[in-house]
Amino acid sequence: MFTLNINGQNYQANVTDGNTPLLWVLRDVLGLTGTKYGCGIEVCGACTVTIDGQREHACVYNVSSAVGKKIVTVEGLSTDNSHPVQKAWINNQVPQCGYCQSGMIMATVGAINAGHHGSEILPEVPHLCVCGTYSRLKKAIQTL
Amino acid sequence: MNNACENGLKRRDFLVTLAGGLSVGFLTGITGRLFGAGAVTTTPVNSYVKVGSDGSITLLYGGSEMGQGSMSGLAQILAEELMVDWKQIVVEQALAGSITYVTGGSSAVRTNYSPLRTAGATARELLVAAAMLATGDQTRSSYAAASGKIVYTPSGGGATLTWNYGDLAVLAAGTDAQALLPAVIPLTNPANFRIIGKPVARVDIPSKVNGSAIYGIDVWFPDMVFGVIKHCPTIGGVLAITPAKPAAAIAVVPCKASDNRGAVVAGTYNAVAVVASNTWAARNIARSLSVSWKLPTSTTNVDSAGILAQAQQLLTSGTPLVAESSNPGANAPNMESQVASAMTGAAKQVGGTFSFPYVAHATMEPLNCTAKITFSGSTPVSCEIWAPTQAANWVVGTAAGITGLPATAITVHVTMLGGGLGRKIEQDYISQAVQVAMVVKKPVKLTWLREEDFGHDNYRPMALVQANAGLDAANKIAAWSYRIVTPSILGQRGWLPPGAVDSQAVEGAVHLPYNLGTYITEWVSSPAGIPLGFWRSVGCSLNSFVTESMIDMLAKTAGIDPFVFRAGLITDPRAKAVLAAADSLSSWRKSLVAGHAWGMAIVQSFGTWVCEVIEISQPVAGSLKIHRVACVVDCGTVVNPDSVEAQMQGGILHGLSNALWGQMTFTNGVANQTNFNKYRMLKMSEAPTITVQIMPSTAAPSGTGEPGVPPSAPALANAYASLSTGKRVTSLPFFPGATMGGL
Repeated sequence: MFTLNINGQNYQANVTDGNTPLLWVLRDVLGLTGTKYGCGIEVCGACTVTIDGQREHACVYNVSSAVGKKIVTVEGLSTDNSHPVQKAWINNQVPQCGYCQSGMIMATVGAINAGHHGSEILPEVPHLCVCGTYSRLKKAIQTL
Repeated sequence: MNNACENGLKRRDFLVTLAGGLSVGFLTGITGRLFGAGAVTTTPVNSYVKVGSDGSITLLYGGSEMGQGSMSGLAQILAEELMVDWKQIVVEQALAGSITYVTGGSSAVRTNYSPLRTAGATARELLVAAAMLATGDQTRSSYAAASGKIVYTPSGGGATLTWNYGDLAVLAAGTDAQALLPAVIPLTNPANFRIIGKPVARVDIPSKVNGSAIYGIDVWFPDMVFGVIKHCPTIGGVLAITPAKPAAAIAVVPCKASDNRGAVVAGTYNAVAVVASNTWAARNIARSLSVSWKLPTSTTNVDSAGILAQAQQLLTSGTPLVAESSNPGANAPNMESQVASAMTGAAKQVGGTFSFPYVAHATMEPLNCTAKITFSGSTPVSCEIWAPTQAANWVVGTAAGITGLPATAITVHVTMLGGGLGRKIEQDYISQAVQVAMVVKKPVKLTWLREEDFGHDNYRPMALVQANAGLDAANKIAAWSYRIVTPSILGQRGWLPPGAVDSQAVEGAVHLPYNLGTYITEWVSSPAGIPLGFWRSVGCSLNSFVTESMIDMLAKTAGIDPFVFRAGLITDPRAKAVLAAADSLSSWRKSLVAGHAWGMAIVQSFGTWVCEVIEISQPVAGSLKIHRVACVVDCGTVVNPDSVEAQMQGGILHGLSNALWGQMTFTNGVANQTNFNKYRMLKMSEAPTITVQIMPSTAAPSGTGEPGVPPSAPALANAYASLSTGKRVTSLPFFPGATMGGL
């Protein structure tokens, strides 16, 4: 059992293996499915969350290491899409299938947390989008 | 209609019970917009339209939303004729049934446009009829529908009456209203469209920026168990001995292979599913599980070197089928000799052998399916499935075959799809989940981890093409011969009559817009040991590369600008207009900086004309910098220009990414690329600036999901051939063996 602080709330995660990646704890144990599985090897970026404000790849982040830290997933930004990054995504009609967008959004949030703005954010989001939403992603990010 | 209502209610019951706090999320995910969970009753006015007692307007969507925007596009068509405002509507995914259809072939708008206009208009006329029943006045011209209200203005004067649609829904759904329907349902004059043709905001996007969109892989129940699949790594291999269940596993289930419509292949177990308390635990157990497989006796047909050697032999000595020729009456040898003679007489000749690898779908959301079967004793009573599927109705058949249940006892929920690209039409992952649910007797989500998704795809087939063409003295095409060797997607799944040409193998090579003189286009079927599938733009992803490369080679040989050369050969007025527009849109190509080059291609696919012009440079050997793309598209009547733009942007990048790096290779039946680190794809920093211009048109709508793809690869190749450090690329990908580093 691990106590995790996710989106400002404490959750008890009933999992025995402390090496279980945070991704699967979020998704399978806690039912927080906004964070996506794409590759499991830190190449695609779909699983990105922020931990203590920094972007991290939940697919390789052990649950035991996440204890005592502040985890933010895409669900934690806002449910009414009022977060500036969510607004930028909607204003530019960015998502197509949308599967990679949680990770894109959270990496952008992490970059903003680190003090980046506009085009400075772009290198911080080297993720994969198979639909090819990059044109609109760039437009959205450049407004932030 | 009652069924539709019950299904709708059943769906909401499920939604509300799902994972407590997530239920609202699920509502937004599926419907695209949040609506309250109060005591609202809804009345289906017809199969596509439900009206709530609170005035809510719910439009049913029968397709599969995988990023192409058809959930919104089809709703726009309905909303237009129903005379409701875009902001009034909620879109609800239909359960598999009468209105669901196979999502593929860039068909959603082009095949549904007229039926949905009629459906929306019929619902509107039923609401008008209900108002007529209320007043007793059947003068149609006294009623107007707008913004979800019916307004009655008596012709002889008197007070006007206004109803919300919600006030009339019950009456509209009755037989008395149906009896008043006009024989011909009047449709809106396109000149008066309020929603069709407008860049309205897509209904699925809000749920995709806050984690509430529910993809198949996100379906979650508190009491569910999680499985992963482990196939025989060698294609064609089967289970020799069922492995014992490790103590940590909930179950180890041998899974039968299935055909492309979901019928299991008796006795052929090609995978095992490992079920545990979460996906990670299942993955670890599956990794350490020792499984004894029986491998195929020969792997020649599932080995890249073996397949290429066979194709090379077939290119010269295989028996071709004629797909098209300038003289349809002539047989193959006769026609080949006519073309050879014309080729010999040509003033200038070009030709080449083009080769294509297998490529993977690599949808961002890997394959997965959730199944829940209820039992009476050991007998299945009902089956419920949640799947990211492009073929909801086939899923019903797949589940029926395994469970023995009638279709009426099977409920199929189509979730959001994290990309489909043609892969999620297949039934293998559905069949496996149902097979596992039959054993574990609990809701189970079966996930293909990325390695399985890459290693056991239904791949876009390889191909080898020999193309030759000759120009006459006036630089017109005098002779054209085209022979493609490729395995048959349709044949492999038993959908091709004996002796017939596989339309998928030759699409993009036939019905070309150019006058080809004396010509022949042939197909030679090669052995299909690798599972084949429909990949975004299918045959056009092969053939359009060759044809548009060949046209460019001819233009260069003739010393004529590629736009001018094509304009001289094209007669179709829409193609000519697209070409001219692309010429203007890409005027930047006339003043490129030193070291840059441009290339272009124009292709008609799925009814849509697309011309793309690409600017590149090569700062370092072994890669290309793609600077910008100009794209002109004519897809007939446009429903949502913003979605058309998005599909062109996405299709172009998909095509470029695969042209540069896309490649699956197989060694002795085992896939060599098992994750994105070995299957490089384009990233944001590498993406060009893309400008899309949509041609105004009143022609019938045509496809947009796929047509952006075919011109991109040949336009890139044509640019590369013009680059001082470049060359004519005839073998894809441009840069084989590319890898992709971690983040």
